[in-house]
Amino acid sequence: MKENLMFQNAPHVRQSESVVTMMWDVVLALLPVYLMSFFYHGPRSLVLGFCGVVSCTVFSLFGSIVLREKPVPDLTPAITGLIIPLLMPADIPYFVIIAACAVAILVVKVPFGGTGNNLFNPAAVGFASVAICWPEKVFSYPVTMQSIEVFGETTVQKVQSPAYSLALGAVPDYEVLDMLLGSAPGPMGATNILVLVACGIFLIVRKAVNWVSPVSFLASYAVLCVSFPRIGGSAFDALCYELFSGMLIFGAFFMLTEPVTSPKRDFGKLMAGVATGVAVFLFRYFGEFEMGFASALILMNVFSPLFDEACEGVLHVYRHRDSLIRSFKAENQRRKAEKAEKAAAEPVVRVIKKNEQAEKAAAEELSDAALPNDSESFEKQEEVPEENAVSAEDEDIVRQEEPETEEIDLSAENEKSEEEEAVQ
Amino acid sequence: MSFFVKGILLEQKKEPMLTRSTLVMRQEFEYFDCDFPDVPVEELSKEQIIEIARIAEIIDESDGKPLWEKLEKANLGEGGTLIIDAIDDEPYISSQMSIGIHQQEKLALGIELCEKAVLPEKVYIAMYRHILDANFGIPKKIGKYKVKKIGGLYPAEGRVYHHIPKGKNSVIVGTCAMLHLARAAEESRKMSTCFITVAGDAVKNPRNVEVPVGTSVEKILGLCGLNENPEVIVVGGSMTGRAIFEPENELVGPTTRGVIALTRSYGTYSYNCIGCGRCDHACPKALSVSSLRKYAEFGKLDKLESHDVSQCIGCGACSYVCPSRIDVAAAIIKAKKQIDLAKKEGTL
Repeated sequence: MKENLMFQNAPHVRQSESVVTMMWDVVLALLPVYLMSFFYHGPRSLVLGFCGVVSCTVFSLFGSIVLREKPVPDLTPAITGLIIPLLMPADIPYFVIIAACAVAILVVKVPFGGTGNNLFNPAAVGFASVAICWPEKVFSYPVTMQSIEVFGETTVQKVQSPAYSLALGAVPDYEVLDMLLGSAPGPMGATNILVLVACGIFLIVRKAVNWVSPVSFLASYAVLCVSFPRIGGSAFDALCYELFSGMLIFGAFFMLTEPVTSPKRDFGKLMAGVATGVAVFLFRYFGEFEMGFASALILMNVFSPLFDEACEGVLHVYRHRDSLIRSFKAENQRRKAEKAEKAAAEPVVRVIKKNEQAEKAAAEELSDAALPNDSESFEKQEEVPEENAVSAEDEDIVRQEEPETEEIDLSAENEKSEEEEAVQ
Repeated sequence: MSFFVKGILLEQKKEPMLTRSTLVMRQEFEYFDCDFPDVPVEELSKEQIIEIARIAEIIDESDGKPLWEKLEKANLGEGGTLIIDAIDDEPYISSQMSIGIHQQEKLALGIELCEKAVLPEKVYIAMYRHILDANFGIPKKIGKYKVKKIGGLYPAEGRVYHHIPKGKNSVIVGTCAMLHLARAAEESRKMSTCFITVAGDAVKNPRNVEVPVGTSVEKILGLCGLNENPEVIVVGGSMTGRAIFEPENELVGPTTRGVIALTRSYGTYSYNCIGCGRCDHACPKALSVSSLRKYAEFGKLDKLESHDVSQCIGCGACSYVCPSRIDVAAAIIKAKKQIDLAKKEGTL
C-alpha cells in the first residue's frame, strides 16, 4: 500500500470538466456549421477546414520545437484552424488559408508563450492580415448551391455580400429568410444564422462559453443599429440585415467568447461586449472595409485587462465595505461632534463678549459715572447691569459643560456600534 | 453580488456512509470519578456540567478547543444563540451528521446539558441540506431542538453566522462533543474516542467509525477494508485535508474528520491557464483569483497584498473548478505565507 502513495495538493476532489472537454464542445459546435457549408458549397469547404486544422497543428508543433518546449496536446490550434476557413469565401485558394494560419499561430500565439498567453484572438488577426493582403479574394463570395472544384482553378460566379451593399448604403437584394437559412452569399460559415444560433445555445448550455459577452455585444449593436440606421425601410428589416450580414453572429459565439483574450468576470465581459458592439458599429458606420468585426475584436482585446482591473476595483470596495462603512460612520460622527461643539461654543463667545461689554461699561461707570460720552454706551450700560453679568457668568459655566457631556455620549455610541459590527 | 460571486455546488458523495450506522472499534473505555456521583443527570447544575466536561477531557471537534473552556467563557447574555455544528459540507465527510441521524437521543441529552451550562435564548442544530444522493430526509427536530438546514454553495460553514441576530453573542459546538458530554454525564465515561468517516473508492466498506484517539490510519483502513491499493490517502476533509505517505505512523485525533483512500490521484495536466475566469467566480470571498495566481507565480508580493490575498480562507474552491487542473489554492496559500513572513521580517 505504501509504495505507490502519491502526493497531491488539496482539494482532493476535482471537477470532471477539463480544458479538453471544453475544446471538444467547441469542435462539436463547429461541425454543424461545416455540414451546412458542405450543403451550400460542396466538398471544398470540408477540405478547406481540414487544411486549416492541419496547418495550424503543424505550425504550433513547429513553434514548440523551435522554443524547445514539450508540445501540449490541447485542441486550441485545431479550433483556430477550424474557425479561420469559416470566415472566408468557399472558393478561397488554399495558400490564403495557410497564410492566415501561419500568422495566427506563428505571430500571435507562439511568440507570446502559446496557449493562454496570446494577447489577441489568433483567428481574428489571421483573418485580418489576409484580408489586408488579398482583399479581392477574401471579400468576393461565390453564389450558393454551386459545387466548387476541390482542386485547381475555380470557375464559379462571384458576387458581393450583403455586408458590402450595406456599406454602400443600399438595401441587399436578399430576403431576410434567405439570410437566416444561409442561402445569401457571404463567408463560408457565417451565413447560416439559424444553425449558428443553435450551436451558440449548445455552447452556452454546456457552459463552454459564457452567455454574457455574446448577448451584451449583440444587444448593444442592435440598439445602435436601430437608433442610427444605414439604410431606409423599416427598422426591423434594417436590424435583421445588419445583424445577419458579415460575421457578427458567428463571431459573437465563437470568437468573442474566446476565454484567453476576453475579460474574466461577467461584469468585465458585459463591459467588453458593449464596447465591442459600439466599436463594430463605428467601424461599419464610418469605415469602408467589410471586416468591422475582426478589427473591433482586435481593438477590444487590448482593453480586456483594463476591464478586469475595473472589476477588481469595484470588488476591492466590496471586500472592504465593512471597514469603509465604519470609517465613514466615524467620520460622520466626528463631524457631528465638531458641529455640536461649534454650536455650543458660539453662544459662549457671545456671553464672553457680553461680559466684556459689561465690564467695560462698569469701568466706564466707575471712571466717569456722571458724564457718559456716548449715548449708545449709556444704553448698553442700562441693558447689562451688574447682577445680570453675574447670571451670564453662571450661564457661561453651564454652556461650557454641555458640549463635554455630549461628546461622552457620542463616543459611547461609537464604541457600541463598533462592537456590533465586530460581532457581525 | 451574485454577478461577481457564483460559488460552487459540490457533489456530496455522502452515501452509503450516512445511511449506515456507526461502526465502533472494540476497545476499553476509561471512566472517571467525580465529587457528585449521586446527582441525577436532570438535576446537574451549570458548574457541575462544566466540571464534568473538564474531567471527561472533552475536546470540541469543530475547533479543537476543550469544551469546558468554551462553556465557561461563553457569555451569551440576552438573545444569545447556541449552535450545534453538524454541517458537513465537504464531499464524503459525514461524521458529525451521522450522529444527528443515528444517535438522536444521546445528542439531545448532550445539547440539553450544554444548554444548561451556557443558558442561551435560542438553540438550533445546523445541518447541510443539499445532499442529493441521500435517500432519506434530514430530521426537522432532534429531541426538542430545531434543525436549521444550511444549504447552497460551498463553503457553507461561514453562512451559519447569517442566522444569528445582529449584535448578539453565539457559541458553536460540534455534535461529537455533545455526544461525549451526554456519555460523560450518564456513564461517567471519559472522551477516548473520535468519529471518523472512512470513504473513497478504494475502501471496500465505507462508513462512519468510532475509534480510539491515537489509532493509526492503517488500522482504520484495515477496519473497513480496501478494494485495491490506493494511490492517495487523505487525512481530514476532502477539500482541505492533506495527503499522507505513512499510514502506519499517522494517528488520528479528536479533530480528524475523515480518512479518504482514493484509487487514483486527480493527476496534473500540462495545460496552461486559459483564462476562463471560473476561479474568479467560484471564490466565496470575491477575490480575483486568476490575477492572484499570476502574481504568486512571479512573486509579486506587493501586488498580492493590494489584491487582498490576506482575505483568502483556503477553501480550495478555485482549484476544484479549474479546468486546467492548476493547483491555484496551493499557490495562493503559499504566497500568503510568504507575505506573512515578509511582514514579520519587515521587508514588505
